[in-house]
Amino acid sequence: MLDVSVVASAAMGMAARPGTLAVFTGLHLSGTLAEPAGFTGIEIGLLVACVLASGGLFFWRFAPILRNIFRSKKDNDFTLHPLGRRVWDFFWEVLCQAKVIRQRPLPGIAHAFVFWGFLAFALVSLNHFANGMRLGFLAPDGSVGRFYFGFAAVWALLVAVSIAGLFVRRFFVRPIWLGTKVSYESGFIAFLIFTLMVTYLAAFFVEDGGAAVKSLWWTHTLALLMFLPLIPHTKHLHLVLSPLTVFLKRDGFSKIPPLSGDEDFGLVAGKDITQLISLQAYSCVECGRCTEHCPASITGKVLNPKEIILGMRSYLNELGPASEVALLAEARPETTFGTTMSMEAAFECTTCGSCEYQCPVGIQHVPILVGLRRGATNTGAWEDTYGTKLFLALEKNGNALGLSSSERDKFVTKTGLPIFDGTQEYCLWLGCMGGYDPKGREIIADFARVMDYLGTTFGVLKKEKCTGDPARRLGNDLVFQTMAEFGLKALETAKVQKIVAICPHCVRTISNDWREYGIAPEIEHHSEFMARHKDRLPKQQSDESIVYHDPCYLGRYRDVYEEPREIVALAGTLVEAPRSREKSFCCGAGGGLAFLGEETGERVSHVRAAELAGTGAQVVGTACPFCNTMFRDALSEMETKPQLLDIAQLTARAITTVGSGAL
Amino acid sequence: MKILVAVKQVPERDAQIHVAADGKWIDEDDLSYTINEPDAYALEEALQLKEKNGGEVVVVCAGPERVTSTLREALAKGADRAIHIEADDLGERDTLGVARMLAEAVKGESPDLILTGLQSDDLGLGQTGVVLAELLGIPHATIIMQVEKTDLGLRVKRELEDGWFQHVEMPFPALLTIQSGGNKLRYATLMGIKKAKTKETATFSASAAGAKAVSLEKVYLPEKQKRTEMLTGTPAEIAAKLVEKLKFDVRVL
Repeated sequence: MLDVSVVASAAMGMAARPGTLAVFTGLHLSGTLAEPAGFTGIEIGLLVACVLASGGLFFWRFAPILRNIFRSKKDNDFTLHPLGRRVWDFFWEVLCQAKVIRQRPLPGIAHAFVFWGFLAFALVSLNHFANGMRLGFLAPDGSVGRFYFGFAAVWALLVAVSIAGLFVRRFFVRPIWLGTKVSYESGFIAFLIFTLMVTYLAAFFVEDGGAAVKSLWWTHTLALLMFLPLIPHTKHLHLVLSPLTVFLKRDGFSKIPPLSGDEDFGLVAGKDITQLISLQAYSCVECGRCTEHCPASITGKVLNPKEIILGMRSYLNELGPASEVALLAEARPETTFGTTMSMEAAFECTTCGSCEYQCPVGIQHVPILVGLRRGATNTGAWEDTYGTKLFLALEKNGNALGLSSSERDKFVTKTGLPIFDGTQEYCLWLGCMGGYDPKGREIIADFARVMDYLGTTFGVLKKEKCTGDPARRLGNDLVFQTMAEFGLKALETAKVQKIVAICPHCVRTISNDWREYGIAPEIEHHSEFMARHKDRLPKQQSDESIVYHDPCYLGRYRDVYEEPREIVALAGTLVEAPRSREKSFCCGAGGGLAFLGEETGERVSHVRAAELAGTGAQVVGTACPFCNTMFRDALSEMETKPQLLDIAQLTARAITTVGSGAL
Repeated sequence: MKILVAVKQVPERDAQIHVAADGKWIDEDDLSYTINEPDAYALEEALQLKEKNGGEVVVVCAGPERVTSTLREALAKGADRAIHIEADDLGERDTLGVARMLAEAVKGESPDLILTGLQSDDLGLGQTGVVLAELLGIPHATIIMQVEKTDLGLRVKRELEDGWFQHVEMPFPALLTIQSGGNKLRYATLMGIKKAKTKETATFSASAAGAKAVSLEKVYLPEKQKRTEMLTGTPAEIAAKLVEKLKFDVRVL
């Protein structure tokens, strides 16, 4: 046996001279993994019994979970298409651990080491058990074995250090997102993992075939066999399920699935929980990223997205996937899920999508939360004065602001906006804010001036109703369908080919949600339109600092981050908010919440406005009329406040010449 | 308790009304219709009474095919059955004519309570309910804000002028005309719409009695008139003249 192999010393970063390692008498580092020899029949029998017991216990606990998942309702809209995206997500999010690392770098990399270490250990463990049955296939002193065990040893070291670090984080640093309750099971599992690594590494320091190696071998074996049955009922179930969850998650960000059949009203009771939701609920690793980034949770509301997912899991465990018991009700402290899965919580979600974006195990929170709302609204169980008022306004007036539609006509006439007649290139979609809200109208007028300056022809629809966005997100499928069908017909009748809108909510709803009822013409946000023409837009000689706020429905929902920044850069110096791009913090208006009553706790809009103002920028640049209106209100209470302008206004202020004359 | 709600379908509140080419009716082509607002409150009152006391809510509406959408909406909000009185000639009937149609259609129903809106948003005559009560020979009360079932019958709150209210006790059967705003309206739900599909809508042909009571000569939009008169004199004189005009010409004081 060689004393020190080059592979081991280089890879493990240890000193090359053997003498320095002989710290403890009798211990010396050998380049090869020591293996126990001479497994007796009794030992083999004991091993088989342990493996069977451990595996049996595992399946005894895992079977009910699998049963719940399989017995959940089928996802009628599920297809494996697009396979390429799924394979990529699996590669990037699971194998590369990209999301885990990117969103929480330090614990993320520690987790990635543990994960990669586990992968590296697959072969080692297989050989380990094979050895115990006298079937070992990887000789430690063969060239393959020498390399592979050395390679695994590097990982063992990384895993041991990482798991110790994660242990310290969980039990001593204790970030609040991991939950207030200390999970002793997690601690025990961390200890088992640490033991696995230490016993593996120690086998490099002992003699082949001795008693020491035998005891190391058995310790390693028992740790592994103890770990297995602990998986199904703890968050460690994500080891088994989450790779599948990431691969199978519904295509598209925050995609709300169509209802199926006459008896489907959304997530009313257990019977409505679909297989994907079940799978996602059981995959939750309880890391709390969703809650950490949730605007409702942060500002002291009842909603906690992690608890919603865990509530679904508890519901499935306690009542099963065929139950008729309502998922949402007033607080039911007698059940484990009843305190967190409340009507109040579900209707506090702004659908900003931070939770879904952050989730490392492929849970899609927004469709679940919207599903719960659908179940409550479509059946009339949700009774809310403001919500009812909004729905009646949409039913009667066709706009979310509840104004007479003649108000829009008056604005169109007064501003001189041309009516779309089929000859123009673009249909300018006004939206509720653009058509009825004073500030939204200013944005529309300014954007119209920009289009005019560029010589782009456009017109507005003679009659336009709300896209149904607030109804959609609040779970009212009846109103949403009415609105979508009206809009699709209006666009078809007018023979519209291309639409441009100032509101990311309109853009999202028309391009994505309307697909349930028909295909709308191509639509883009005004930031995309202006960015495409940026070379022809005036560059302003200004060093004014402008902090740009990413709207949720433009950023996370549509992946548009650069275009509005390019526009802002033309108007002044771009400043980034502490939370920006995909981590941008909601303004509080989304999900129909702009139309509901006063929030409990802190106002989301005030928190964000303070953050934006805190950058010291002279101007807050927005790209969504809802964000704009929320910040207008929040900033008005500040003593020294930055100016508030939409990107269309930032552009239009440099345009002094009158264009082709449409306006 | 069996409650019958008589509703009317009217053009949407912000509809642009145009006179038809023959000048004898409005152009209905481009119009959207909706439930008459006070009738929506009558329906809500009926649904709440049913929720509290049990029973059945039957909704009845006279008009052409398009009114079935209003009936469907009422069924979706919780009415149990609907009666559609097929009639294309509402414009040629006066309130007595309409009330006769309703009376005939509901004769077989013998409800405990009939609710209507206090008036319609389009014609605003405010008589149909009262005439219907008369035709059926049952007591009525108008401009009702609140309805309560008592051991003997009903206790209702009527709106009077100047912020005064009157409480009236009355026996069953009775007819009430409901004021807007007394309750909070509910929104139609998907589940309601789906359930409405299985609910029964009976159709009923309007009788000739009461038809052609009105001969329509001409329908026209109110002409916008702006008469401006400048008052001259000292401020005191102007004020005196203004008060006089408001008192005797405009009669608002």
